[in-house]
Amino acid sequence: MVSAQGRNNDTGFWNIVRREFRRVIHDPVYGFCLVIAPIFCLVFFTTLMGKGLPTDLPAGVVDLDNTTTTRMVARNLDAFEQTKVVAHYANVTEARRAMQRGEIYAYFYIPKGTTEKVNRQESPTVSFYTNNTFLVAGSLLGKDMRMMAELASGAAGRTVLRAKGATESQMMAFLQPIVIETHPIGNPWINYNVYLSNILIPGILGIFLFMLTVYTIGLEIKWGTGRELMALAEDNIFKAVTAKLLLQTIFFLTVGFLIMVYLYAILHFPCYGGLWRMLIIMALYVLACEGMGLFMLIVLPTLRLGLSFASLWGVISFSICGMSYPVIAMDGWIQGLSLLFPLRHYYLLYVNTALDGYALSNAWPYVMAFVGFILLPVLFVGRLKNIIKNMEYIP
Amino acid sequence: MNRLKTYIREGWRDWNYIFRREMHTIFHDDALLIFFVLVPLLYPILYALIYNNETTREVPVVVIDQSHSSMSRDYLRRLSATPDVRIVSYATDMEEAKTRIKKRDAYGIVFIPNTFAHDLVNMQQAHVSIYVDMGGLLYYKAMLLANTEVSLEMNKEIKLSRQSIGQTRAQELATTSPIQYEQVTIYNPASGFAQFLIPAVMLLLLQQTLVLGICLAAGTERERGLQYQLLPVHSHHHGLIRIVTGKGAAYLTLYIWNVVYCLGLIPKIFHLPQLGTAPEIWAIAIPFLLAATLFGMTISGLIRHRENCLMIIVFSSVPLLFLSGISWPWYAIPEFWRTFACLFPSTFGVQAYIKINNLGASLSEVQTEFLALWGQVFFYTFTTIFTYYRGLLSFRKKRNEA
Repeated sequence: MVSAQGRNNDTGFWNIVRREFRRVIHDPVYGFCLVIAPIFCLVFFTTLMGKGLPTDLPAGVVDLDNTTTTRMVARNLDAFEQTKVVAHYANVTEARRAMQRGEIYAYFYIPKGTTEKVNRQESPTVSFYTNNTFLVAGSLLGKDMRMMAELASGAAGRTVLRAKGATESQMMAFLQPIVIETHPIGNPWINYNVYLSNILIPGILGIFLFMLTVYTIGLEIKWGTGRELMALAEDNIFKAVTAKLLLQTIFFLTVGFLIMVYLYAILHFPCYGGLWRMLIIMALYVLACEGMGLFMLIVLPTLRLGLSFASLWGVISFSICGMSYPVIAMDGWIQGLSLLFPLRHYYLLYVNTALDGYALSNAWPYVMAFVGFILLPVLFVGRLKNIIKNMEYIP
Repeated sequence: MNRLKTYIREGWRDWNYIFRREMHTIFHDDALLIFFVLVPLLYPILYALIYNNETTREVPVVVIDQSHSSMSRDYLRRLSATPDVRIVSYATDMEEAKTRIKKRDAYGIVFIPNTFAHDLVNMQQAHVSIYVDMGGLLYYKAMLLANTEVSLEMNKEIKLSRQSIGQTRAQELATTSPIQYEQVTIYNPASGFAQFLIPAVMLLLLQQTLVLGICLAAGTERERGLQYQLLPVHSHHHGLIRIVTGKGAAYLTLYIWNVVYCLGLIPKIFHLPQLGTAPEIWAIAIPFLLAATLFGMTISGLIRHRENCLMIIVFSSVPLLFLSGISWPWYAIPEFWRTFACLFPSTFGVQAYIKINNLGASLSEVQTEFLALWGQVFFYTFTTIFTYYRGLLSFRKKRNEA
């Protein structure tokens, strides 16, 4: 560490750091944004979706046939991991009401006479109703119920075919001539915790990075201490800004690395490109968000407007980064807009590195985008200096 | 009698003063205008535009057809006819296909092995493998959906073509599909993303901007040392209810318009479901707004500087969206977090609104949420009055010291 008695040039730098240290200690906002809130979110999301896939989602059965065979179907349905049959309804209307009340997300309907029709080989129809307003629950239950219907149909078909003397493989080939085999690359369990926590947590860190960068520099303007700061920095804006941001950057990097270690080394989320590559990406992301944060203050040089900008940008990041709804499905101009969000590039680099295990060079444009964000404030360094020195705070 | 008259007159005068004063504050503060007016106005449009196309169509895929048969070509023809995927290129082997994925020219691979036609002719099970990049879950869904549909369709035809001559249609059906089934997606039949997410986001947006605005306004007052001067303290000292209702009324006046816009106009413009009637929606919106306002006023008492509330409130939007039970099913949320979720008006507001607006439930079917919202109104009224009371006490103490 360079001591305060070092070259004259360094004195200012470390004085600013020391000055900043006192502020960080006395302002609870820092503790909240740097440590408490990011750790809370890390725990929150990973425990909320701890199971990876939701299990025992409530579903209903409307069994108008009520024979041993159909009762077996209801029992078998309950045995699926994602489905829990919570109620039997006397008719479809009642089941739909329960769905409207949000008590069940789907129901399986077996009309009267189904068993008899199967026995008479009349090919009856069963149906299942899913509520895709709750997209995850609806589609997971739909999958289970479709499987149940296939199994029931297969079982009935087998009885007929076995009577004709077919072997097991012949039966399968007959019932299902073409089979689809799925190979999800990178996240084979289709684990929602992996799919969401990997981006949500860095996304929230991004909000705090934007806001705290604006806050740290913006406070100088608000309290009218900008001149004092620039005097300490011997009128060198680079020295002033890097010294101001040094402490929070160290904290953010530590928390960011902690998140990476927790996700990939402790929870063992898939990371085929190696933890160290993700650490590099996280470090670049932290710096890129700070660059963007500085840019926000340069555009709107008052604390409250800069912070408003930061919060709005931070919140939109989640939708526009493409984690849940792909960017290629958005309109062209929104696709372009998405490039202005660091989280978008983080997401692409994460897919490239952690899920697919490719080298960073395969995704170099996004790395360059991070570098671009970091260098962005350099372009406006004159204006930034002017803002810090001369802006008047209007409450 | 006369005293009561004076009391009412003074009360009304104070109330009026506080109400107008708050309105004046709101319309003369650009940060407040951003959160009270601009964000509720623009965010819904932005979200609707992002999710406008509802689902992923035409996911680019690369195909490896090692079978080179009329059957594999038939399969691929049908596949490219589905709306979900688009065949962008053909590769000779897996390595080549994987390079395409790596370059992000495609997000999935469909692999038809050379045994495909052979197996089908020899009455063996034939396999088609699909590989999907899991960066986005919707790519996987689109690939699975398209391939399942094509295979089911072809299976049916193959089975029928294999029937021995002389069988009746009924016999054919009985062996090919002894039990038929249909899936009915009652609500959100297209599994659209906008329909799934935007209604919840609207309610959350109303709550978060309202709470933010209230905290910003309180923060400004405190910084200017104005907070309890709002009340003409010199005349009387029992004005807590006046402050709380006067300020609350100012926020509500604004938010009634935001509700009309976010819950009435936006769904119309972007063709989102609107099954509830206006009275039903208001029946939920009113306790929701009241609860959110009082919740905001309580929180505002805890925050010292105006900027700090942005830090605390903004990030919470994401956890709150998850706690409302939309993106992650309510019943799959651990007990602890579900209890925690009961603290926030958005949890019940979102649930009730979705049920009425998207599922066509009647008011009696959202009784639980309705009562819970009124319960929150009751609870947060007390906390708000307590917060303001404490503030008033400390203000008086300071004034007396001065």
